Amino acid sequence: MSTAALADARPHRLSDAALASLGAGRPDRSTIAELKKSQLSRNLLLLHEIAAVVGPGPLTDLAEAERANPARVRELIARPLFGVWAASCLRDLQAGRNPDVSHLTDIARAARIPRQQPDKSLRANHNGHSITVRVDDSNPLREKLGLPPAPPLDAEQLARWQRTFTEAWRLLVTSVPADAEVLATVLDCVVPVLPDPAARGISATSADAFGAVAISEPADATALAVGLLHETQHSILNAVQYLFDLLDKPATLGYSPWRDDPRPASGILHGAYAYLTVTRFWRTRSTDPLAQFEFARWRAAVSDAAGGLRDLTPAGARFVAALTAEVRPWLDEPVDPGVLRLAGSANRDHYLRWRLRNRHVDPAGARELRRAWHAGEARPNVTSELRPAPKRALEASARLDLTHRFLRGDPLTGPRGEPLTGSDGDVAYVRGDAAAALRAYPDDWVGLILAGGFDVAPELAAVLSDEPDRLAILGWLS
Amino acid sequence: MDGAVNTTGATPEWRSAMIDVSGLSIGDLTSKVTSVPGGDAADDTDGATNGNALAHCLRRLADDLANPGEPIAGFNSAL
Repeated sequence: MSTAALADARPHRLSDAALASLGAGRPDRSTIAELKKSQLSRNLLLLHEIAAVVGPGPLTDLAEAERANPARVRELIARPLFGVWAASCLRDLQAGRNPDVSHLTDIARAARIPRQQPDKSLRANHNGHSITVRVDDSNPLREKLGLPPAPPLDAEQLARWQRTFTEAWRLLVTSVPADAEVLATVLDCVVPVLPDPAARGISATSADAFGAVAISEPADATALAVGLLHETQHSILNAVQYLFDLLDKPATLGYSPWRDDPRPASGILHGAYAYLTVTRFWRTRSTDPLAQFEFARWRAAVSDAAGGLRDLTPAGARFVAALTAEVRPWLDEPVDPGVLRLAGSANRDHYLRWRLRNRHVDPAGARELRRAWHAGEARPNVTSELRPAPKRALEASARLDLTHRFLRGDPLTGPRGEPLTGSDGDVAYVRGDAAAALRAYPDDWVGLILAGGFDVAPELAAVLSDEPDRLAILGWLS
Repeated sequence: MDGAVNTTGATPEWRSAMIDVSGLSIGDLTSKVTSVPGGDAADDTDGATNGNALAHCLRRLADDLANPGEPIAGFNSAL
């Protein structure tokens, strides 16, 4: 075949039903196969472009290996970390740097060795559903997945991962068997990463690495099940976005219910899509108050975030319509009223804290607010503006920690009535005693707004933080 | 055109700007690498691509590489 064959190649296509099934988070095996084929195609196009810069010489070994064992070479270059290498290599070449292309020779050598069992893998089987994923804990390329990799696992650590994985798989097959099948088809490897002391657990997915999940050692099987569902969705969406632009303005910043910093529209879509299957998982656990809290919280967040996306392309509109059609019926499903109150509060709490952190009143607006307040005038029409965050933000929430304790039935206060975390106001608010919370919150704008049911932008209130009567200010701003 | 929907067939389908080379060998892809004519993607009604469509595909790939964004990192919702 020649370049004529390349020019004759056909575009990737998806049926309308397949695109809609992807949007709904319910792709069948053939649709996932099409995505995987497109990712192999991507890696081959990257090789084509690398050869266009360095010439075909460095690929000679690999081409020969492919002639001898085409299936094995295809398998190796379809792997997620090969995609990471190829993209990184081409970026270096385009930037005038001189990347090491000997990786291609390494792949050719690996292809000539009879296939062996991977050094480390995680395997599980439950009710006839089986899964095998490689554990990649030594490849230097894993550093490019976005999180600091953990050192190679020792036997005891691997055994611990396996125990958690076995239980996570049982949970997934029992709760969401169709999602478990998708996960087993997409997931190729797990890359253990170092835990983040500021987070309960951390995980990441790279658009260059379809089917790889970088994840810290999970706290328990449920955390692993949820983390794998979540990251698999990111991989699938990355593959869809390789094929189709879904947003005309993907960089437009806005509110994401899953992050404390402003996020681009593409990131908001990723959040909604990842949490679609996470929400579906929690939905099945109707007797567990914590699970119901997660379900109630995220069904609303997914629906709002997806429904709020603007500037969708035609393919994006089709995809997001399917996503929202999947989640919206869940909004009507019954949840215990107490749990529903806490879920709604948690979402509103996050939104208000996000506003307080990321939206700001300019100096002229701030002066006008102060002047009007002191003059006893009506609230002036002052607005705020979004400021991009310099880096990812992560803010601990004592109210959320207390909510989790409350739902677990754990105490919120110590032997002398002191809060185990947060403030007296937080404890009162989580217990549903809004009046006590209002009395107890001295200087927490968001806490006061929540407990008092005020409809106030907290960043406007924050301009008047030096003033004494906060409830009067909130009343004035309402 | 990215994400063009074709409704003329028995079932509507979405056609990507990205070319499917998964059936080509590495030798085929790299032995005669030549520059591809520029220009916007042409609308191919019969499914076969031409140099313009390939050029568009490769430009889109280059754009993706130039704007990779951050890795999508999420915190597990462990309770």
